[in-house]
Amino acid sequence: MLEARNLTKHYDGADAPALDRLNLTVPAGEVFCLLGPNGAGKTTTVNLFLNFIEPTAGEALVCGIDAAVDPSAARALLAYIPEQVMLYGALTGLENLQYFTEISGAEAPRETLLSLLAAAGLPEDAAQRSVRGYSKGMRQKVGVAIALARRARALVLDEPTSGLDPLAANEFAALIERLRKEGMAVLMVTHDLFLAKQCGTRIGIMAQGRLASVFGADDVDHLGLERAYLDLFAKAAA
Amino acid sequence: MSDLVLAPLSATAPTKSRWRVVRAVAAKEWLELFRDRRLVWLCAFVVALMLAALAFGYVENARVLRERDAAAQADRELWTGQSAKNPHAAAHFGQYAFKPLSPLALADPGVDAYVGSAVWLEAHKQNEIQFKQARDGGVGARLGSLSLAFILQTIAPLIVILMGFASFSGERESGTLKQLLSVGARPRDILAGKAMALIGAIFALLAPAFVGAALALVFFVDRERLSLADQFIRLGALGAAHAAYLAGFAFLALGVSALARNSRAALVTLLAFWLVNSFLAPRLATDAARALTPTPSWQAFRAGIAQDKAKTFGHDESHPAFIAFRDETLKKYGVSRIEDLPVSFRGLALRKDDEAGYAIFDRHFGALQSAFDRQDALRAAPGFLFPLLALRPISMAFSGVDSRSQFDFATAAEAHRRDIQNQVSDNLIHFAHDNSYVAGPELWRKIASFAYRAPGAGFALGYSALAIVGLLGWLALACAFALFAARRLRPV
Repeated sequence: MLEARNLTKHYDGADAPALDRLNLTVPAGEVFCLLGPNGAGKTTTVNLFLNFIEPTAGEALVCGIDAAVDPSAARALLAYIPEQVMLYGALTGLENLQYFTEISGAEAPRETLLSLLAAAGLPEDAAQRSVRGYSKGMRQKVGVAIALARRARALVLDEPTSGLDPLAANEFAALIERLRKEGMAVLMVTHDLFLAKQCGTRIGIMAQGRLASVFGADDVDHLGLERAYLDLFAKAAA
Repeated sequence: MSDLVLAPLSATAPTKSRWRVVRAVAAKEWLELFRDRRLVWLCAFVVALMLAALAFGYVENARVLRERDAAAQADRELWTGQSAKNPHAAAHFGQYAFKPLSPLALADPGVDAYVGSAVWLEAHKQNEIQFKQARDGGVGARLGSLSLAFILQTIAPLIVILMGFASFSGERESGTLKQLLSVGARPRDILAGKAMALIGAIFALLAPAFVGAALALVFFVDRERLSLADQFIRLGALGAAHAAYLAGFAFLALGVSALARNSRAALVTLLAFWLVNSFLAPRLATDAARALTPTPSWQAFRAGIAQDKAKTFGHDESHPAFIAFRDETLKKYGVSRIEDLPVSFRGLALRKDDEAGYAIFDRHFGALQSAFDRQDALRAAPGFLFPLLALRPISMAFSGVDSRSQFDFATAAEAHRRDIQNQVSDNLIHFAHDNSYVAGPELWRKIASFAYRAPGAGFALGYSALAIVGLLGWLALACAFALFAARRLRPV
């Protein structure tokens, strides 16, 4: 379970907080999609759950562990797929996956890792090549495989389908649905309203560091979501 | 993706063996280092340089050893080939004591070239070591030679810096640090893995040089004069000291890399430290040590001895001390004339004068060496901050080429000189019944040739204690700094 309690981040020198008293709970078996324009506080939220930055106030809890108090323990329960998966250029896709899996403490034989890469859309011959020649999409697939190999209780995604082709993005959405059914708590940050509607069980729209509105995915259709999103920002602009 | 069989979600965080994480990080770092051909070539170049320096050192030392052996033999022939003469005249004829070359001078030439290699042993006078190679070699020789010690102490840290400066900052810039920390790896374990890889690379760099040096010792050491086991202990100590020195650099590079804003800042910081440690700190420490513990100039030192020696009688029979000794001797033997003494008064007087001289020389040379010791201690004191100041004295001590080794040799040479003086004076005392007495070659041959046996590794260990503490302090400090930096590690 992921939980934010009055989570606040005020960067040094900034006039307003990047994240202002966010309260959010993502229980097991839920996919919470966070929408919002650039600077709304979405990535700050992700970084706080991973304790890549320290909160100014409040708590970011991963399965009850405060990420600021014991970051390594919190991260060990959390898988993460960033917008741009960065890998070691001198290593192959498979070696990168092996490395991150081993570091996380998870155990997986080579065959399983290859099948995870294949499942993420990376064929074996590509998996055995240095990632230096990988496209952004191919790196993203390795990132997905890393997250899968870890079998963590919670997953945080920051624009995960950025760079994936439509077919791979669709498969990715199916995978998220499968993980949700298995009981994973998923927090996904995206600009893609279609993906949010497709994957999310709840959808939140952030603006100026605050969670402005939250919808149940079944309570709103694609058009309704788009309208709500645009209305919110038209109001903010006015 | 639908046919993929996945394990159930972990109910708890995976139980990570920290050693497994450390080993995985180290293995990955090694793989990256190995696949980075530039670094492989750079390391190969440094190893080749070290082996070349070792080979040059071996050839040069073999030449010096041959020359010293030949000179010692020629000098012995001159001594034993003296014609019949008064034994005291033979003592004035004198002889040389040559310092045997320490086998490990092939790795670290130390101060030998600047201090000298032989002492002239003559009557009434303790001389300083002379024949400085650096003076004979002109300006070029004063610039120093490309020794294994120079490469290990000056160039190897640079290689460690080049291997380590981007360890964390490079990962932060490329974004992999984010990925690495996101999987729950503890910064301390990542640090340990990176340190293990870097220190492993250092060992890979050191190994060929030390194996080469060990082989050179097997061929070089004259086992009649020196213990091979002792030389290996010394080599082991040298290896451990250099490993500690370079491991400290590895921790420093990792710490700076973890804290620096970017790789460029890390590199500039580390290069600045390298410059200070390698070139500035030794000079500043030497100047400070000289200023705080001044030593007399050669002229002042000799003038001090001459002043004290003036209080002894030498050959001056009108000197009050001579008259007092004569009266005391006559009284002791119960006679009123020198001619009535049962022994040679000239021999007794020479012996008496020599003994008075010994105390003077011991006081002056001892005070000079104490001043050098204090200078050495002052120079080594900041070694925990600038580790070359600690490593250099350790390296020279265990290579047997430092000022203490020189002093030990000079002391042994002086003991030999005194033995010669005592033997010729004793000969005079017992056999010279008048001034026409002469001794023959049997006396010259009876006086053994100078055979110096350098003290064992324990000697070097004893007076390197402060430098060793400094070097260990450097390692502990660098390690603590790296741990502190790892605790503050942020991926963004």
